[in-house]
Amino acid sequence: MAEQKSVPSDLYKCVYSFLLENKFTKAAQQFLKQTKVKPQDQNEESLVNIYNFWVKSPEAKKRKAPPNEPGAVNGPAAKKAKAVAESSSSEESSDSEGEKAPAKAPAKKPPPPPPAAAAGSTRKKDSSSSSEESDSEDEQPAKAAPKASTGVVTSKAVVPSKAVAQKKQESSSSEDSSSDSEDEQPAKAPAKPAPVKKVPAAAAAKAESSSEDSSSEDEAPPSKKPKPGVYSAVPPPASIHKAPAASKAKEESSDSSDDSSEEEKKVAAKPAPAKTTPAKPAVSKPAAKKQESSSESSDSSSDEEEAKKPAAKVTAAKAVPGKQVKAKAAPAAKEDSDEDSSSSEEEEVKKPATKVTPAKAAPAKAAAPKKAKKDSPSEEEGKKKAKKPTAKPAHTKTAPAQKDESSSSESSSEDEAPAKPLTKPATPKAPPAASKAPAKAAETSSDSEDSSEDEEEPVKPKPAAKAATAAAKPAVKAAKPAAAAESSSDSDSSSEDEKETKAKPPAAKVATPALKPAAAGGKSAAAESSSDSDSSSEEEQSAKSKPTAAKTAKSTAKPTVPAAKPAAESSSDSSSEDEEPVKAKLAVVKAATPASKSATPAKTKSKAGTSTTPSSKPTTPAAAAESSSDSSSEDEEPVEAKPAVVKAATPVSKSATPAGKPAAAESSSDSSDSEDEAAASAKKVTAAAGKKAKESSSESSESSESEAETAPAKPAATNSKAATPKTAAKAAAKPAAKPAESSSSSESSSEEEEAASQSNKKATAPVVAAKKTPAAKNKESSSSESSSEEEGKARKAATAPTTPMTNANGKRKQDAESSEEEETEEKTPKNKKVTTTPQTFPKANKKSSNIPFRRIVEERVEVDPRLADNSFEAKSGANGDWGQKANQVLKFTKGKSFRHEKTKKKRGSYRGGAISTTINSVKFDSD
Amino acid sequence: MRPGFSPRGDRGGRGGGRGGFRGGFGDRGGRGGRGGGFRSSEGGGFRGRGGGRGTPRGRGGRGGGRGFGGGKKVLIEPHRHEGVFICRGKEDALVTKNMVMGESVYGEKRISVEEGETKIEYRAWNPFRSKLAAAILGGIDKIHIKPGAKVMYLGAASGTTVSHVSDIVGPEGLVYAVEFSHRSGRDLLNVAKKRTNIIPIIEDARHPHKYRMLVGMVDVVFADVAQPDQTRIVALNAHNFLKNGGHFVISIKANCIDSTAAPEAVFASEVKKMSAENMKPQEQLTLEPYERDHAVVVGIYRPPPKQKK
Repeated sequence: MAEQKSVPSDLYKCVYSFLLENKFTKAAQQFLKQTKVKPQDQNEESLVNIYNFWVKSPEAKKRKAPPNEPGAVNGPAAKKAKAVAESSSSEESSDSEGEKAPAKAPAKKPPPPPPAAAAGSTRKKDSSSSSEESDSEDEQPAKAAPKASTGVVTSKAVVPSKAVAQKKQESSSSEDSSSDSEDEQPAKAPAKPAPVKKVPAAAAAKAESSSEDSSSEDEAPPSKKPKPGVYSAVPPPASIHKAPAASKAKEESSDSSDDSSEEEKKVAAKPAPAKTTPAKPAVSKPAAKKQESSSESSDSSSDEEEAKKPAAKVTAAKAVPGKQVKAKAAPAAKEDSDEDSSSSEEEEVKKPATKVTPAKAAPAKAAAPKKAKKDSPSEEEGKKKAKKPTAKPAHTKTAPAQKDESSSSESSSEDEAPAKPLTKPATPKAPPAASKAPAKAAETSSDSEDSSEDEEEPVKPKPAAKAATAAAKPAVKAAKPAAAAESSSDSDSSSEDEKETKAKPPAAKVATPALKPAAAGGKSAAAESSSDSDSSSEEEQSAKSKPTAAKTAKSTAKPTVPAAKPAAESSSDSSSEDEEPVKAKLAVVKAATPASKSATPAKTKSKAGTSTTPSSKPTTPAAAAESSSDSSSEDEEPVEAKPAVVKAATPVSKSATPAGKPAAAESSSDSSDSEDEAAASAKKVTAAAGKKAKESSSESSESSESEAETAPAKPAATNSKAATPKTAAKAAAKPAAKPAESSSSSESSSEEEEAASQSNKKATAPVVAAKKTPAAKNKESSSSESSSEEEGKARKAATAPTTPMTNANGKRKQDAESSEEEETEEKTPKNKKVTTTPQTFPKANKKSSNIPFRRIVEERVEVDPRLADNSFEAKSGANGDWGQKANQVLKFTKGKSFRHEKTKKKRGSYRGGAISTTINSVKFDSD
Repeated sequence: MRPGFSPRGDRGGRGGGRGGFRGGFGDRGGRGGRGGGFRSSEGGGFRGRGGGRGTPRGRGGRGGGRGFGGGKKVLIEPHRHEGVFICRGKEDALVTKNMVMGESVYGEKRISVEEGETKIEYRAWNPFRSKLAAAILGGIDKIHIKPGAKVMYLGAASGTTVSHVSDIVGPEGLVYAVEFSHRSGRDLLNVAKKRTNIIPIIEDARHPHKYRMLVGMVDVVFADVAQPDQTRIVALNAHNFLKNGGHFVISIKANCIDSTAAPEAVFASEVKKMSAENMKPQEQLTLEPYERDHAVVVGIYRPPPKQKK
């Protein structure tokens, strides 16, 4: 905290967010106490980003020493915190922290001196952890140009530029990847599942495990150190639980996650499993763990979604992916094999449930098609963003995930993400440039949309629309109450999916949005809602969505697992478990948030993975050669896969969101979306009012949550919690999945995002991005932020989306403006938050347009039962009262006749009899 | 014994001796002194009935009849509310001690009672004409208007109820009667001419600053303004003139707030508004059957220092 004091007040937020992201909850709390800093907006730049930017900047070079300080400070602090956290927190925290921290640490450390060195893995981690910062930084310095340049340069370049670029790219890519992963997840979910399944089935594909392990391991070590602190606060329990489980048997953890996911899935909907599994299989093998994770996460999400609603497959896929990712990450962290096994198990489980048997092949195929579609689009578009984002997110996430694995799905997701990042980083970096080159937000967006559509179609066919599925998921979650957490997780996953999808859409659409602000404008209402929600939702999303995603992923994963194999649940299970147990809300929330974070990373990773997988799938679509697909997918992922994924994800998200909007029923995310939509569009559904309120609340809550969280000390947790509560409330309201506050919150965020996205698909896309970013921020500025940032950087459009989201929040319709606004918004997170609240009000105002003027709205007035009847007879002591006789005459009169009768009595002819002096009035409670 | 006739100005017809009594030519309707007064002759009792409105009626009503059951035995007993009395007879009536002997304000009946050598005159208080009387008859717990109190009366109208409040507070008290209508204000001024404890203020109660120089701190604010924003109006005046811990008595006409909403909801809403103005409601009472969709809310005012203007 000392460092903090020395730092300008402006950085306090970043520092705080960074602490939160790194799960240095204690430190964050203390810092918050001392500085009274508001939680950083999701959109705001992450400390890491800032740092990276600084490092990259000429000035920074000159001031290497100073820069180092920040970085060093962060790093040290982080390390210290991490160390403390580690010591204090259990393995989970350590894991999660470790991953993140390591990632961050490396990233941070490397960046200053060497950005190049750590670049790959560390960058990713850093990016993930600080992705927001970096993104934000990049954005801040030179929102677009700097970032782009940095992104490109840094993307693979090794050093600062790379770091920044990577971060940015990653953030963008992460977003993309997230979106991709989402897309992929949904779409790939099937495909990946197959791979995963294969792996599990085929001994979890050692190769994958090895690759993942290597990556994950690499990541894990670094990450472990840092993360412990971060996760310790929230994740610890979950992570610990999981960790033990993982330690005992990573597979078990995965299984547990799977179980949980399976359970969730089952609870939510059995369909999900099938999808999830398919997705996972394909992913798992092709993209190896990372891909698997992504695919798995996607799969899991898809599974969840599917389970919830076939339509929601995408979301499910995402959710699942997150879980899977987490699971994978965890395994990777612990043991790739474990992860693989878990992922494979999950996949298998999932597959069993839905398509399990088709097993890998079927799933793979399914995934493959989707992926292929996505891939193609994603590749086109995806490559640009997807690669970088995914890579970075993955790294960041993976590290955390690995550590977290044990803790929770988050960790797992993080782990996965980190792991992926590692693996991807290398590939991604190269791709990033390519991806950036493509730059084709529009293209990507269009592609992504197409891909998403394609994916959605493919996926949706079953899901009937991811949105539907998403809604379904929420519903499922709600329905499942079982798991409020699960539901939340589901919703999270869905939200994540949505986010991802949204993010992707945003990326794609965002990119497009940038290109096509008008479209955003069209969405404006929705977009606004979405944007509002986005800002909040973003935060929420980041926090919630990620959590939710993670949770959802977990939940989905669990469901799937349950259905198929509990063994692979570790990550997902832990997260799901955490969430579930946590329902404890806070713990859950935190866990959820971590999970969500991890999930987001995972998602991103998963996305990347999915994207990769998709790509791989394309290559070996449905092909049995998952491993090959993995490798290819990885390669592709970096370049094409990510874009594809991103796009696909976005499309999916879009499609999902649309579907979700229509459905409005989509569980939390859907509900949120629907709510947003409703609010934006106008309370389409009855829930609309409630939803709107909730949404607004959720949004506000989200924003507030993010802030609150930071303030409390466990911003993420609080955010997630707050978000979750609201979301939960929403979710509960809609889905009835109230228990899962975190999930609900995430859902709400996701919902909002979704709603926004749904209400305005384009808007939604932006929203998604926004959501993602917010989510990232909330959960972990690094991961979600990174993703969002990455997205934003990678594609200004993406950032625009996020910013639009915020703007949207402020002005819903400004989606078009979003790009600019996004930048601004990103720069000024507070604004976003603020805007979010305003949105809610506007919504209310809009609603009341047709209502005739009424001074007193009876529905809103609480009447004391004693005063519910103003008649004479209802009064105490009426019988025998002096006025009783008059009442007998007057009670039948009305209007003029009453006046007439009363006038007669005014003359003094009235004889009432005896006057009593009893007290007949109704007393109000008085002190 | 001369009938306790309270001649009112020139008009008050001197009722004929006992029994005789001319229906007032009254100033219009009852308002002017009507001949009929209570006659407190030995037994005291109401005598005569309000003169017909301006219609000269020979020997009014029944020639020598005595009002209210022959009014022989009328017993005046104090009410729970200080300054308010109950006339117990064949038919009970709510009365206040007339501050201006021998005069009716609005044609109400008067009862004079002789206690020893002092004659005390009471004026009947018709709950159908006065919401405050309706509240008292309805069984409200506290009106906080008592002898010696300083009362701000918002919506004084012609001064009928104000005259009774004037009776209650007595010479030691003060009544700031605020009425915005000049037409009613004219009658109010006439009432105030006879009653030195009434300070008529013909101003809009929404702008207390316009009469701030005339009004000191008061103990009670009574409001019967029947305006949609009456709670705000009361709050404004309370903020300006009501002492901390002072009380307010508000008559709420639901139809004036929102005629489309349920009266109960309107009352609840108004009560809620009061709470927001540092006016803590203490009790509520319906005015049925004397008024339709009316309620009286009594509360205490304790504004924080800041809110005092």
